[in-house]
Amino acid sequence: MLGPPIAVAVGVLAAVANPVPSDTNTARVLIGALEMALPLTAGVACASLVGRDPAVEIQLAVPTPYRETLLRRTVVTLGWAALVAALTAAVLIATGWWARWPDNHGVIAGQLTWAAPTLALGGLGLAAAAVSRSPGAAGALVTTVWAIQQFFAGLAQQHLPGRMLYLFATTRGADPADWTANRLTLIAVAVALVALALVVLGRSERLISEDDE
Amino acid sequence: MIATLLYEFRMQIRKRSVWIVPALTLVLFVLIGGSLLRDLFDPAERPPEARLAVVGLAVQIHALLSIGFGCLLADRLVRDDRLRVAPILDATPASPGARLVGKYLGAGAATAVPIAVAFFGFATAYAGSSGSWSALPWALAVFGAVMVPGLLFVAAFALTVPLIMPAPLFRVLFVGYWLWGNVVTPDLMPTLSRTVLNPLGGYPMAALFDFAGIDGDDQWAGPFPGATLNFLRPEPTPLIAWLSIALLLVLAAAALTGGHLARLAERTRS
Repeated sequence: MLGPPIAVAVGVLAAVANPVPSDTNTARVLIGALEMALPLTAGVACASLVGRDPAVEIQLAVPTPYRETLLRRTVVTLGWAALVAALTAAVLIATGWWARWPDNHGVIAGQLTWAAPTLALGGLGLAAAAVSRSPGAAGALVTTVWAIQQFFAGLAQQHLPGRMLYLFATTRGADPADWTANRLTLIAVAVALVALALVVLGRSERLISEDDE
Repeated sequence: MIATLLYEFRMQIRKRSVWIVPALTLVLFVLIGGSLLRDLFDPAERPPEARLAVVGLAVQIHALLSIGFGCLLADRLVRDDRLRVAPILDATPASPGARLVGKYLGAGAATAVPIAVAFFGFATAYAGSSGSWSALPWALAVFGAVMVPGLLFVAAFALTVPLIMPAPLFRVLFVGYWLWGNVVTPDLMPTLSRTVLNPLGGYPMAALFDFAGIDGDDQWAGPFPGATLNFLRPEPTPLIAWLSIALLLVLAAAALTGGHLARLAERTRS
């Protein structure tokens, strides 16, 4: 619950502490908090949804399938992140900071700035957690994918898969012409990963055997 | 302490995720392209000196695999309370402090084994393919002076910080810190990067290994013109480099002591 608001707060702090005195740069940091920090918190939160139930046997015995319970948890987790992101975006739009970043892609489609990476990292977190049954491993994978794209932003732009799967295409040096295809690819990947997670979670007996604690 | 160290080591090293996470990280790293892992084996691209190649390899492996290392260790200490085995462990003759140190060294060492395997594996393959066998002593030296202190620093905070916040939140804040405190250059924003408190080991790399990046144009230590926190960036000398290593270890010890005291206070209350 704390993750998304903290992500926004860190972004605002970074914008205030930004030593480059330019409105464009401040706007980039603020929108960057929505595109970088907030999806990371959502992804790690989704990575922590599996493997934490102290009495998973009871969960598996109730009429609601466990994967449906996890899907509801995912919806709540991503919904909370989306609410915080949408409210922050509304504030940025109302105060004019949204418009000060030239590659903002408009008020409506521009919301894919945070929605696409949030869904992609959320899907990755859930799928990794479903496969590994370990919040530690799934969280490590999400943070590593995020960090690799941060460390090697330039290299990711040099080939098509890198450009399409790049999480920070709005605020970190991607070609604006690729933006829509990039956002749709991330959403498609998110759908595929959630589907994979649901298939894996369908074999619920995995959850009570060989616990990777 | 030794018994705790041994069982924590065995428990952790048998976890598949401890091996899978670094392996996937390396695969992603190679897939994104252009990393030194590939260039090391390309005679046209690889650094001219074994020392440069090995320190450059250490930077990349250390910077990337430490993230998974910290995330995987984040639930090790709080796990005892979550699984309600802490009271049973308290009933054993081992003192809580010794068990904490044993868990720190045992789980930390086991989680570092895949990192060491990757680093020495690539260093050996490079030495074999280039014929520069001096790479191996350089690899040992840089592992001991740069990677081990950094990993000890990360492990101490990864074990103890989740005592005061949920482990997932720690993982998010840790990767944010890792990027901010190691990778961001000081002229971009106020950062601990390139200071004596840098767990990536900028001072040892610059002063002990004369490393300034693969292309020789990176500044890993010393004052940055116009940057804040330059008082933490003295001119790099071997003495300052050793001081930087000592500071990282002192901070790790302080984090462990803080965690130990916090747990004792909680036990006293409950």
